[in-house]
Amino acid sequence: MDYFKTRITRMEIPARDHVILWFRGDCPVEGDPGQFVMVRGNWGAHPILPRAFSLVEVGKEGAILVRNVGEGTNLLASMKQGDELLVLGPLGRGFSLPSETGGGVALVAGGVGVAPLVFLAQRLVDKGVKPVFLYGARTGADLPLRDHIDEICDLTITTEDGSVGEKGLVTAPLERFLQTNPTASVFSCGPEAMLEAVARVSVAAGARCQVALESPMACGMGVCKGCAILDAAGEYRYVCSDGPAFESVEIFGREP
Amino acid sequence: MSDILAVQLGPLRLVNPIITASGTFGYGVEYADIMDVSRLGGISVKGISLEPRAGNPPPRVCETPGGMLNSIGLANIGYDAFVDRTMPVLRRMGATVIVNIYGTSHDEFAELARRFDKVEGVAALEVNISCPNVKEGGIHFGVSGKSASGVTRAVREVTSLPVIVKLSPEALDLPDIGKAVQDAGADAISMINTFRGMSIDVETRKPRLGAVMGGLSGPAIRPLAVRMVYQVFKAVNIPIIGMGGIACFRDVLEFFLAGASAVQVGTANFTDPTIAVKIVDEFEEYCGARGIHPADLIGKVEIQEVK
Repeated sequence: MDYFKTRITRMEIPARDHVILWFRGDCPVEGDPGQFVMVRGNWGAHPILPRAFSLVEVGKEGAILVRNVGEGTNLLASMKQGDELLVLGPLGRGFSLPSETGGGVALVAGGVGVAPLVFLAQRLVDKGVKPVFLYGARTGADLPLRDHIDEICDLTITTEDGSVGEKGLVTAPLERFLQTNPTASVFSCGPEAMLEAVARVSVAAGARCQVALESPMACGMGVCKGCAILDAAGEYRYVCSDGPAFESVEIFGREP
Repeated sequence: MSDILAVQLGPLRLVNPIITASGTFGYGVEYADIMDVSRLGGISVKGISLEPRAGNPPPRVCETPGGMLNSIGLANIGYDAFVDRTMPVLRRMGATVIVNIYGTSHDEFAELARRFDKVEGVAALEVNISCPNVKEGGIHFGVSGKSASGVTRAVREVTSLPVIVKLSPEALDLPDIGKAVQDAGADAISMINTFRGMSIDVETRKPRLGAVMGGLSGPAIRPLAVRMVYQVFKAVNIPIIGMGGIACFRDVLEFFLAGASAVQVGTANFTDPTIAVKIVDEFEEYCGARGIHPADLIGKVEIQEVK
C-alpha cells in the first residue's frame, strides 16, 4: 500500500453525471479488480474525508469512474487536467479470480458498479478468458464505458425503460446464461437490491457468485470500523478490509 | 531523532507531544507499511474492553460541515486478542502505546487497569469516561464530578501506570470535572471527546446514522475544544492533552497556547494517514528555528485584561 500525491493526466465524460479520472503515480499504479483507492483533491479541510473508488484501470496510469452524486464527487468532477490528486491504495480485498473458468464467466454490472467489472473484464481477456458482460441501468443515458466493454467482450445491455438493449432487469439475461452455463463464475457490482437478486439467481443455478459492496467509510484501511455491514450469519463485516469483494453466500446466504 | 520536542506529562515521558487519538488510528499496527509509528509521541489505541464488542448498527459514519459524525460503538477485539496478538507487533514497531480502556462499571475499569499494569510495552492508560456511542458507561461516567472521580480512583488504586482521564465536552462543569479527576489521582487529562450530534437525510427523512445520534469530530468542533482546554487549564495543575479538530501544525500551536501540554490528532488521520508525523516534522522545525521548546508555549495566550 502506498499513499501518494499525483496529478490528473486526463479526464473523460463517459455518460451524463459521470467522469473518468486518469492519474499517474511516481510509480506504476498497482492493484487487482475489486480493490479500491481513497481519493481527494488538495482542497483543504472540507470535505474532510476522502472518497472510495474502485480501480477501473492500472498500469502506468490508474483510473477511477466518478458518479457525481454529492459534494465530494462534485469537487472531483470539476477538477482539471494537471490538478493535484491525493490517492491512497490499492486497498481492500478484490475479487478472487477462479483458476478454472471452463464453465464460463458472467460479469453483472449495475450503474456505476460497472467500474471494477471493466477492470476485471480486461484482466480476464488478458488471460485469454472471454467473459459475458451483462450491464443494467435505469435508462440508456446511464451506461458509462459501454463502448469500451463492447470492444473487449460480449455485451448485453438491459434498461428499465427499454431505451437501449433489452427492457427489464439484468437478472433476465443472467438467468438465460446460467441455464446453459450452470457452473459459471459470476461477478457482480451495483445497487444492493440488484446484488441480492444476482446472488439468488446464481446460487439457485449452482454457480459461484462474488459481489463487490459499497459503504460509507472514513479511513479505507480497517481503522475506523465505520463501514460495517451485517453478513448472512448476523455478524458485522467491514467493507474496506474484509471486502469490498465477498462470496455472495457470505452476505446473502444460500436461501433462494 | 532529536529530543528537541520531548515532553514530560507527569510520570509519562514522550519523545514529542503529538499523539494519535483513540478510534482514529486503529491499533496502530495498520500503519506499519505507511510510516514509522515510533516517530509519534504516542498512539492512543482503539478503546479496549474486557470482552470483544461488535459495535453499533450501520451506517456508522457520515460527513458533516467541517467534520464527521460517528457511531462506531466501541467495536474492538477485546483485552485478550489485543494483548496476545496486537501488543507484540506494537512492541516490535517501537510504538509508544497508550491504551484507551472502556468499561461499563467501576469494576470493569479497575479489572482492565489491573491487567494492563502487567503488560509489557504499555506506556499509559487513557480512561474513556466520555464515549457518546454506548448505552452503559461511557459518557455517563464523564458528566458529573462524583462519577468521574469514582472511576479515576478505581483505576488509580490498581495500577502504577500513568493514568490519563479522557473528558467529555458534555460535562456540566468541565473545570469542576477536571479538578475532581485530578484529586482522584489522574496524572493527566485528555480532552475533549466528541459532541453528540445528529444528521437527517431530508430526502428519505431518515437519520444518517444507524444509531440515530453519533459523536461529532473534526475542525467544526475546534473552537469549542480550545475554549474548554483554556478553561480547564486555569482550574487544574496536571497536564492537559488537547484535542478536537486538529488538522495541521498551526492548530497544535493553538491548543498549546490555550493550555495543552500535548495534543491528539484524530479525524485528520482519515484525511491523510500520515498527517501526525508531518506535524511532528513541522513542530521540530518551528521549535528549532526559534530555539524554543513546546513547554514554552503552554497557556501562553496573551489576553489583555480590561480595566
